[in-house]
This record gives sequence, C-alpha cells and structure tokens, in this order.
Amino acid sequence: MTTTASDPTRHFFQPIIVCLTVASVALTLFVIWISLHDLSLMRAGREKFVGLDNYLRFFGDPRAMAALWRTVLFTALATVIEIALGLAVVLFLDRDFAMKRLVRTLLLVPIIMTPVVVGLTWRFLFDPATGMANYLLSLAGLSQIDWLGSPRIALFSVLIADIWQWTPFVILLVMAALESAPTDPLNAARVDGAREWQVTWYVLLPMLRRALAIVALIRAIDSIKAFDLFYIMTRGGPALSTETLNYYGYIVAFTNFDISYALAIAVILTIFTNVALLTMYSVLFPKAGER
Amino acid sequence: MAKLSIRSVSKSYGAVRVLDDVSVEVEEGSFVVLLGPSGCGKSTLLHAVAGLNPIDSGTVIIGDRNVTNLPARDRDVAMVFQSYALYPTMSVAENIAFPLKMRGLDRQTSQEKVAAVARLLQIEPLLERRPRELSGGQRQRVAIGRALVRDPRLFLFDEPLSNLDAALRTELRAEIKRLHQSIRRTMVYVTHDQTEALTLADKIVVLKAGKIEQIGTPLSLYDDPDNAFVAGFIGSPRMNFLKARVAEDGKAVLVGDTRVDVSHLSTRLVDGQEVTLGIRPEHLDEKQGVELTLAVDVTERLGSTSYVHGALPGGETVVAERREDQPRFGETITLRFLPGRTRLFDTQGLRLR
Repeated sequence: MTTTASDPTRHFFQPIIVCLTVASVALTLFVIWISLHDLSLMRAGREKFVGLDNYLRFFGDPRAMAALWRTVLFTALATVIEIALGLAVVLFLDRDFAMKRLVRTLLLVPIIMTPVVVGLTWRFLFDPATGMANYLLSLAGLSQIDWLGSPRIALFSVLIADIWQWTPFVILLVMAALESAPTDPLNAARVDGAREWQVTWYVLLPMLRRALAIVALIRAIDSIKAFDLFYIMTRGGPALSTETLNYYGYIVAFTNFDISYALAIAVILTIFTNVALLTMYSVLFPKAGER
Repeated sequence: MAKLSIRSVSKSYGAVRVLDDVSVEVEEGSFVVLLGPSGCGKSTLLHAVAGLNPIDSGTVIIGDRNVTNLPARDRDVAMVFQSYALYPTMSVAENIAFPLKMRGLDRQTSQEKVAAVARLLQIEPLLERRPRELSGGQRQRVAIGRALVRDPRLFLFDEPLSNLDAALRTELRAEIKRLHQSIRRTMVYVTHDQTEALTLADKIVVLKAGKIEQIGTPLSLYDDPDNAFVAGFIGSPRMNFLKARVAEDGKAVLVGDTRVDVSHLSTRLVDGQEVTLGIRPEHLDEKQGVELTLAVDVTERLGSTSYVHGALPGGETVVAERREDQPRFGETITLRFLPGRTRLFDTQGLRLR
C-alpha cells in the first residue's frame, strides 16, 4: 500500500478536499457570524453585533419551540413507521412470485416522483369535498375527516404522504440487504429447531440490523430536513399546526426577512440534528459491533 | 440415534429431474457418504432428509417415524453446512447454545452442555468470539459443536470440508472419523471428494444425475464397480479406459495388438464385440504380465511414487503409477499389468463380469 505522501493521485484529491473544507468552514463561520448580529433586510445597513441574543430569543420563542417539538415528532414517527412498514413489506415479499420484478419497479415510482407532484396528488386526495380519502371513508360508513384543514390532523396527513413516498425506499434497500444475506444460517436455524418467526427474530433481523440502521439514519436526516411536502401541502398551516423548524426558518428568512434570526435557527437545527444523529449512530453501531 | 430410510424419493425443478426414484437404507450408527459430481443431486437429497427441501414423491423415515411431511425443526436432525452457516451476530457460545435455546432448555443445563462440547472440540478459548473472528477450521469446529450439543437422532454433513485448505481438510476429516467412532451416531455425509468418501464411509452411495449408480462399501466400489462411471469416479488418479475388441471366441480382448486374457469372466462375449477395458494406474506397474508401450508426456513426482502421463501407440492417453523410476518426456516405457486386475465394460458402460 502506498502512503498518502508518495501517492501521485493526491494532486487530484487534495485540492478538492482543501476547497471543500475552506468553503464549508468559511460558510459555517460566516453563518455563525451573521447569527450574532441583527441583520434584517427590512433595515439593511444598520445591523449591529448583538452577541447571543438571537439564540436566547429562540429559546424564549414559543412558535420556535413548538416547531422544534413538531420536527421531533414528525421525524420520530416518519422514521419508525417507514422502517417498520418497509421491513414488514420486505419480509412479506421475501418469496418468489410471478410479478416480483413488476412490483419492484412499481416501488420505484413514489421515490422518483418529485415532491411537488406527490404533495399536489395527496392534496387532491385529502380534499375535504372532492377528495378520494373522504370518499373511501364514506364507503366504509365512517365520518368525514378534514385532512388538511384541522390543526390536530394536518401534521399526520403530511406524515401519510411522506410515508407513502419513502417507505418504498426502505423496502428497496432492505430487500437488497436481505438478498445479499446468506441463506444457510436461516436453514441452520430451521434444522436447529426454530420456528419461522424465531428464524426471523433471532437470525434474519440481527443480520439485517446494519442495513436497517443505515436506512433509519438516512430517513431521519431526510425527515428533519423535510420541507417540500409541507410547502406544497399545508404551508405550515392551519394555524401553524404543521410548521416544522426547517419551515419556520424559511418563514423567518423569506417572509420576515429577519436573516440573522433565521440563521440562528439554522445553526440550532444543525447542532440539534448532529447531536441526535450521533446519539442514534452510537446506539445503532456499538463500538464492539458485530459482524 | 436412529436408522434412516429413504424410499423412492423423487424431485424435479421444472423439467429437470434432480432426484429420480432414490432409495437408501442407512443402518443405525453407521456412516454413509453420498458421493457424486456437482449437480448430481446429493445435496438436494440431504436437504430433503433435513426437511429443508420438499420432495415430490417418496418417503423419508427416521427411526420408525415417517418425517416426510414434518418441518425441519420437528425431525430432530443436526446439520453441518459447507458455508459453516454460523449465526454471524451471535458469539460462539450463543451459536452452540442456539438449538438448546430453541428447545427451551434452561440456561444452567445449556451452559454445561456448551462447555462439554467446547471441551470435546477444543474450542473453549473461542467461546466469547464472534464467527467472523475465527478461521475456517475453527468455524467448522463450532458448526460441528452446534450439531453435537443436542444429541440428535441423525447427523447430516453437507460438504463440510470443501471450504477448507488441504491440510485442515485432512485434519478435520480425521477428527470427524474419530468423532463418529466415539459417539457412534448415524451420520450422512455429502461430498464430491472420493478421498473423503473412501476414508470416512461405512457405505458409499454414488449418485449421478439424480440416480443411484451403486451402493457399497468403499472397498467394494473400488474393487468391484458396477459400471464405468463408478469405476472412474472412485480412485485417484482415475481408472484408464481403453477401447478393446473381443477375440478368440470370447476368451480374450485386443487392445490395439495387445492380447488380454479374459477367460475368467462368466459373461458370454461375442467375437468382434466392442468393449471398454478399465485398468487402474496403480495396477500398471507390475513386474510381469501383459505389456503395453507408453510414450511419456509428463511425470508427476509425488515423492513416494510418481504418475506418468503418456500415450499408447494407438493414441489413447494413459496414466500409470511408477514406483521405481521416473521416466522423462520423450522416453518410451513398458507398462505391465495382470489381466485379473482389469475390469471390462460394455458400450453402455455396464460392467461385464
């Protein structure tokens, strides 16, 4: 193995690493620097240094705290449900059947669709007067639901759209992991006296743990950053009931033009995300990890 | 411990018949090897016995219980796989204890049994490791331990040594042999390696394309093969097959111009009939007997002996053992063999006795 110092390819990758490092460090520092001022586009040129005021303001801002809580709720629910549902579908599909290739292709459709289309489609489905969702409820003899108009329900309606779009992604990755997993240990467990659920629980799921952990991380990161579905389906409403922290930051920056506060929110979201994900990572991949 | 009866088992994958009316009786406590080239159905048969592969027709009886329609977990067999098939996320101790856990044995007893098996297989220092931290030989020991720990009615081995290097293979082969001699359990062992089959088996079942070619003791398959396939498959290097023609009213055959006496055969041969004469490399190094001239191509020196590859005047290639000298490329040597050592086959490959 060649060391980095003597490896001529370093002339290609080192400049890129330097550029990326400089860009990200400079941008981060610039963001932090602005967040320590009171820059607002409404009174450009009159900003001054305010120290940690924006950060203190965040923790005293009930709208921000509510948005933070909503982000946590949405991320947790979306990740858990998508993983659980995806895994269930994979285990159910784990047999040879005639339409397997077709099913797999169909699974790609939601992932490929742009969020705008997904959001609009679900908005139509959830329309209280003409939507399919309420029609189906009426067929089942259930009462109508104001899917996107009720502050208690709207967040879960967006959640349903997110689950619809991203569960197939979980299915595809876990299916790939399942197919590359060795089958002999499963047969060994059957011979050793395990019932099918025991084979799944004691042998198959532990073998899939790594793949599940990675998918969960990806989905968690995406859910925290979720923006497009909220923007298309609810714009944070009704009554701010679907406003996540990411969306709130957008409102502060581009509706209120309060740039410094928006960047402070962004920094807090970044720190919060990193802490949460690092915790998740260390739980999912213990140091003395298996395999 | 139990005997195993496989009766008229057939199985097809689509149009391919992988097992064709296979019947085998395995006596209690014996060691039976299913031997054949890859794709002959031997592993399919073993999986069918384990209950991992459903069969289309036929019966599998373990002890006096018809297990044909029972799932694998209720058959009370243990299996060792070519790929070791250890549970990658469990430690060695947990791997070995798994069959006990599935049978609801309490922790205390389970730990004692695991310790006893680990002692027997000398894997005690490995108990806390994960399978990926073990070498191939150690992994297969653990897999054998997992099979041993619960004292099943039947042991199944699916090419357990094929993934190991040559030295380890010999070592573990002897260990399996020792194990069988000490615990005297019924064992069925699948391999494509005839050396493993000859050294381990009480009885060998030779399979080809889903059909049984011959069942017999290692020595009887070697000495008295029923057909050219078995004759060629058992023994290394393989038996030489030479084209021959019956002459002298069935008393002799001619290989080229060389006369080989076959008057000891009871089969009635017709003059001019085409037959195949089989003679093993190790029987071509006699002091006297029928002579053949060989133009030497290659000599493989194995230390204690050598194998000479060459061509007869008729162009047929022959491998011959050579214990005294080591002829070189281009030399012409004389091979001598006793007519009684030859085996005669008809054009279908069936033995003429």
